[in-house]
Amino acid sequence: MNVSVHAAGSWRRIFGTLALAVLLEQLPWSGWALIARPDFVLVGVLFWALHQPTRVGFATAFFLGLLADFQDGAVFGQHAIAYVIGVYLVLYLRLRLLQFDPSRQAAQMFPILLGVQFAVLLIGWLAVNPPTGLGILIPVLSSTVLWYLVALFVRLLHGKGAQDRA
Amino acid sequence: MFARRLGPTARLMIWLLAGLSCVVVDVRYQALDGLRSGFSLLLQPVREVTRAPVDVAAELTGFFTRHRLLQKERDALLAEQAQLLVGVNNANELARENAELRALLRLQARPGQQVVHAALLYQGHDWFAQRLTLDQGAGAGLRSGLPVVDADGLVGQVTRVYPGSSEVTLVSSAEQLTPVFVERTGQRGLAAGSGHGQLELRYMPSHTDLRPGDRLMTSGIDRVYPAGIPVATVTRVSRSQSSPYLRVDCLPLAGLDRSRGVLVLIAAPQVTTR
Repeated sequence: MNVSVHAAGSWRRIFGTLALAVLLEQLPWSGWALIARPDFVLVGVLFWALHQPTRVGFATAFFLGLLADFQDGAVFGQHAIAYVIGVYLVLYLRLRLLQFDPSRQAAQMFPILLGVQFAVLLIGWLAVNPPTGLGILIPVLSSTVLWYLVALFVRLLHGKGAQDRA
Repeated sequence: MFARRLGPTARLMIWLLAGLSCVVVDVRYQALDGLRSGFSLLLQPVREVTRAPVDVAAELTGFFTRHRLLQKERDALLAEQAQLLVGVNNANELARENAELRALLRLQARPGQQVVHAALLYQGHDWFAQRLTLDQGAGAGLRSGLPVVDADGLVGQVTRVYPGSSEVTLVSSAEQLTPVFVERTGQRGLAAGSGHGQLELRYMPSHTDLRPGDRLMTSGIDRVYPAGIPVATVTRVSRSQSSPYLRVDCLPLAGLDRSRGVLVLIAAPQVTTR
């Protein structure tokens, strides 16, 4: 899987998926959809950090984190720090993550995504206000589901998933 | 390359340091507003485009509204207009009388107001303060601190202004304070956002006359909000043994998560200062 994605992971594809992720976050989400919205950009960054660590790494994560900070109107650096921590965790567990099938990989990603969201929570707490609830942890679940779908899609796309999954 | 030779942990530390300095510079010195403006210019067209499908859908459903429904709505509006006209005549009379009385009392006339219509562009997802992004900015004369209202009541306050858009902190946002008075009794107080889409009336002594259903209006003593904008209704009043104050929960009147169009009130500069 790693090899095939490696060959396919051109700059254009990386840029396209990350731009799509940013675009999805710009949609006028509201109400429950907003609360449960997965963090598309984070999933995109971590996906490429896993599959293309030489191309997408700390710098991309940091810049997209600043962008996320802007669009939420949050303190600059809040998401940037969290995304950088996420990339570090993915790089640390990289070889291990690449061995799993999509569902197990998603299960392994859950604690990483949780750690990222805890970093957001902690920085917001220290810099702005105490948090007003644990709703901040809901996107972790939806992001995990999104990761599963993305991983499954990539598997099927490269023709290896069908028998693995059965 | 230099960056390649460093291990991931070292690089993590460098980026963490960069991130922390961003936080400090932003919170302590508010020095990153230029970066925010840059991002807003970058993302504004994207947001306009992604909002378009929703607008088109709303237009289409409006177009296919049944004729009967429109007639019914028109009749209702005509009736409402008649009622309002009566109210307006009354108000004109009162305003004239008020102006005379103020002249008698040598009070300063209240500054006139200009209104800017703005549409909701994007709803922020910050967990520590609830914000909206509007599609009007410095170009329309907005500046930070201005009050934002919708048809039902106070929505919030403009907190950041970019060239073509602006950010509004909602009245229910955590730690957002609004000076209010109770409509029924005239008792003044301070309403603070709870962060859960609700408000809390703070520092009300336990003998205060407050009932569920009381309306809170802006008192205008802060010179930020004009007096008399409806803010919230009291939903629950409870006394606690440990605190000398009442615990008063309120629900904001404005459609904070519903309204798509809002008004920004721009107070004209005060003409006379005596």
